[in-house]
Amino acid sequence: MTASEAGTVLVVDDDREVVRTYRRYLEGAYTIREAYDGAAALDELDEDVDVVLLDRMMPGASGEEVLAQIREQGVDVRVAMVTAVDPDFDIVDMGFDDYVTKPTTREELLRVVEDLLALDRHAVDVREYHSLLVKAAALREGKSTYELDDNPAYADLEARISDLERTLDAEADQLVDDSRFVATLRAIDTAPREDIDG
Amino acid sequence: MAEGDARTDRYPLADALPVDLDDLDPGMNVLVSGPSMSGKRQLVFDLLAPESVPADPIVVMTTDDPASRIRTPFEDRSVRFDPTTFRIVDATGAPGDSDPAVHRVSSPADLTGMGVAFTQAIDQMGTPDRLRLGFVSISTLLQYVDAERAFSFLHVLSRRTSAAGYLGVYSIDPTTHEDRFVNVVTSIFDAAIEIRERDGDRELRVRGLSDVAPEWTPFPY
Repeated sequence: MTASEAGTVLVVDDDREVVRTYRRYLEGAYTIREAYDGAAALDELDEDVDVVLLDRMMPGASGEEVLAQIREQGVDVRVAMVTAVDPDFDIVDMGFDDYVTKPTTREELLRVVEDLLALDRHAVDVREYHSLLVKAAALREGKSTYELDDNPAYADLEARISDLERTLDAEADQLVDDSRFVATLRAIDTAPREDIDG
Repeated sequence: MAEGDARTDRYPLADALPVDLDDLDPGMNVLVSGPSMSGKRQLVFDLLAPESVPADPIVVMTTDDPASRIRTPFEDRSVRFDPTTFRIVDATGAPGDSDPAVHRVSSPADLTGMGVAFTQAIDQMGTPDRLRLGFVSISTLLQYVDAERAFSFLHVLSRRTSAAGYLGVYSIDPTTHEDRFVNVVTSIFDAAIEIRERDGDRELRVRGLSDVAPEWTPFPY
């Protein structure tokens, strides 16, 4: 997988040294974009960005203000707050999907980004699962079991449905974590509208 | 799911159903399906708080009846309206006084908000080991979000409670949706309890449980 296929991460921090460090940690795995203040962050943000690492304390617009803008615009992106102190507040209530405490290690940063991309994939997989179930239900309408057994397209659909079911069930335990559960629902909320034929 | 004495972990139903089914496994999600005025809401509440069974902690998420109208039937069932064991996530957008047992969400279209309210309810109840979650109703949810979002939300919520060993009970009025949607959404659940009316008589059957025959049974409640 190339870095751009794995995901695009927007690093936002007024401290260029921090941005450089995060780029070094992440650029082997992901495509990196940079912004040094809130306004530039909103400029850089488009549908290609998957994860934003957002510094909480910046001159000008704070991390929270930038987050409020992102949420208001309904951008389909996961946002981790980067903070110098352990948050003594509930990141779920604040609308962040995760957080990173400075200074952070390469492992910690990679884990946070990977977790956020994983819950994004979970949300996409649930939508895909729904779409396959709709297709299977459509094929079943007005057909006998005998006819369906003879239909390779139906067998293929059923196989893909079981595969996805296994994946989704294997990931269910992670939903007990409050911030992952809420972030997954947010990924569903902000997903692009359903296709007409969906 | 936690190992241990599986028997005592189960959720007793007492006589809530007119079939031979005493209890449900932890982590199960059940769909109660029936037309309007068929008693399905009563049945959801009976499954959450069966008579003569020690009450489990309960969360009711509502998209149609405001909290005040959810509260009354539980009071009738002698459930103590105590925020340590009973909470309502009211997503109807109805105004109301501040109440520690009621978490208000502006609209059923705010899926994230409903999720946040649910986690707050659970956290503030001390993350109980056992809990019964009621969701009324899927039909109203569908008036606010598209089928794909509704399905995704229900999938994630039901898997989250399942992973925690909770019991989930959801209601739907199948007559207000296309058969295809009802079939698809039913697949989220471990069992479906269907209610129908025949010649003025109410009948019920349970589908999806290996030890209960899916036969229509009179349901005179």
